[in-house]
Amino acid sequence: MASSNNGRTSERVAINVSDLGVQYNLKLTRKNTVRHSVTRRMKFEGTESKFWALRDVSFKVVHGESLGVIGPNGAGKSTLLQVLAGIITPSAGVVEVDGHVSSLLTLGAGFDGDLSGRDNIRLAGAFLGLAHSMVEERLPDMVDFADLGEFIDAPIKTYSAGMKARLGFAIATSVEPDILLLDEVLATGDAAFREKSKARILELVQDAKAIVLVTHDMEWVTDYCNKAMLLEKGHIVAVGSPADVVAVHQEHSAERKAERVAAGVMPLEPAAARSSGPVPR
Amino acid sequence: MLFSATMAVASETPASFRSSAIRPRPFTLIRLGFGELLSRRRLIRYLVRADLKRAGSDTLLGNIWWVIDPLLQMLVYVVLVSVIFARPQKDYALFVFCAVLPWKWFNSALTDGIASVVGMERLIKQIAFPKLVLPVASVFAGIVNFFFGLIPLAALMVLFYPSHITKWLVLIPVIAAVQLLLTLPLTIVLGAINVFFRDVGNLSRHLLRLWFYVSPSIYAIDLLQHAAAKYPVLGVFIFANPWTTLFTSYRDVIYEGRAPDWMGLGALSLVSLGLLAIAILIFKRLEPTFAKVL
Repeated sequence: MASSNNGRTSERVAINVSDLGVQYNLKLTRKNTVRHSVTRRMKFEGTESKFWALRDVSFKVVHGESLGVIGPNGAGKSTLLQVLAGIITPSAGVVEVDGHVSSLLTLGAGFDGDLSGRDNIRLAGAFLGLAHSMVEERLPDMVDFADLGEFIDAPIKTYSAGMKARLGFAIATSVEPDILLLDEVLATGDAAFREKSKARILELVQDAKAIVLVTHDMEWVTDYCNKAMLLEKGHIVAVGSPADVVAVHQEHSAERKAERVAAGVMPLEPAAARSSGPVPR
Repeated sequence: MLFSATMAVASETPASFRSSAIRPRPFTLIRLGFGELLSRRRLIRYLVRADLKRAGSDTLLGNIWWVIDPLLQMLVYVVLVSVIFARPQKDYALFVFCAVLPWKWFNSALTDGIASVVGMERLIKQIAFPKLVLPVASVFAGIVNFFFGLIPLAALMVLFYPSHITKWLVLIPVIAAVQLLLTLPLTIVLGAINVFFRDVGNLSRHLLRLWFYVSPSIYAIDLLQHAAAKYPVLGVFIFANPWTTLFTSYRDVIYEGRAPDWMGLGALSLVSLGLLAIAILIFKRLEPTFAKVL
């Protein structure tokens, strides 16, 4: 299944990923103390400690394209977004991003319980690297959107979970990025806010020059993406038109389900077992 | 394209980036690190302000504690040394305050700074930002604390020790600047290492306390040199210990009313600047793995 933009070389490339690999070293990932690292070394547990969350991943997203990334749990979808957002540096290969990236991985991030909602917006803006003038200019809009009333000036440790989610969403979507990264963010807050947030995301989707969306919601992919990519165990399995790729994904999921049923007793599928790798308890 | 241009102006981060498995050369990393600190000044300021707000928010007296705290600590040492050991220096309260005040800053900067990177775990996994701002903000939050501590110092001198007030007092900020230069690299390096080995936090508390007591902090340097006659290792440490220079210099300008040890301060500044470059290099080297390890 060939990438749909192969013929259109004249278009501007927004994201160019070539031979990307991301390796996790589990030896380092466990909550570490010197004692653990010494005892592990003595037990020779080092052999299985490295794994590739992504391997040999190459693709391009041109301006105007909206790429839906699907795949089973632990396929490396979220890791891919983290790399595109610049949070994780590749262990192999190169990622080039042309334009300002905003990731909606950031819902609720940057919150400091002792600061007011308003100050948290400023703090989050500074973390995101937004210019001060821009944050101040958009502050009223964000306050409006979060719809917190007088609570906007209260320390956010007094907020409910829903209120925090609203504030987080308001901050995360206030930036109009060239390249928008979305990671399953639609499931926050109450029904009314979900509607409102879906509308806001659609707005951003229309304005953004390129979008990468990670989701389990196949309807989103077929409705709003013009290209899809299926990841399994860190590798690209299929790229192409959303309908085709979704079909492949559903076929594979059905196969996995059948295997599980055939295997019988409480089977933990290998992909899922590995998926818990990046953040083991 | 107009839109992209305005975004580039509006943002303090570059509008596009390239990230690859190839790590930049050491010199580039150091330059990058300094650049990040400069371009993210506002973020550092916000973090400092958040830190200060947090420090004052849970207590009845709030930020007044910054003024009271060093005084109480001074009192503890005054009672300990002049009552129990019964051999204090002349004007011992002022003598010991010269050590309590700067050490509080050093101590809190290191303790908070070591925990600063680990404490931002959630954020580090969700946003790309220069992690270097975290330990640096802890150090600067300590400065504010230090300057508040100058209030009780002034009160102490005006009320009880007016004879110690000399022109040399104006040099306090200069010595504080040298202390800042020393504190930054230590905090930056330990903050990074703590991500991989959480033992650093536990160990550092005890090492800091030991460091305080083997420095000329609550006693004059001759007492230490006396002990060094018996333990030569201590003698080497007294010579190499940056806090020998710092405590002595603070005491020179506040308590003794004379010029500080310019040579020592100069040497310490140079060494610290070198250490700062190395610290930033180490931090930047480890930084890419933070998001994966945390």
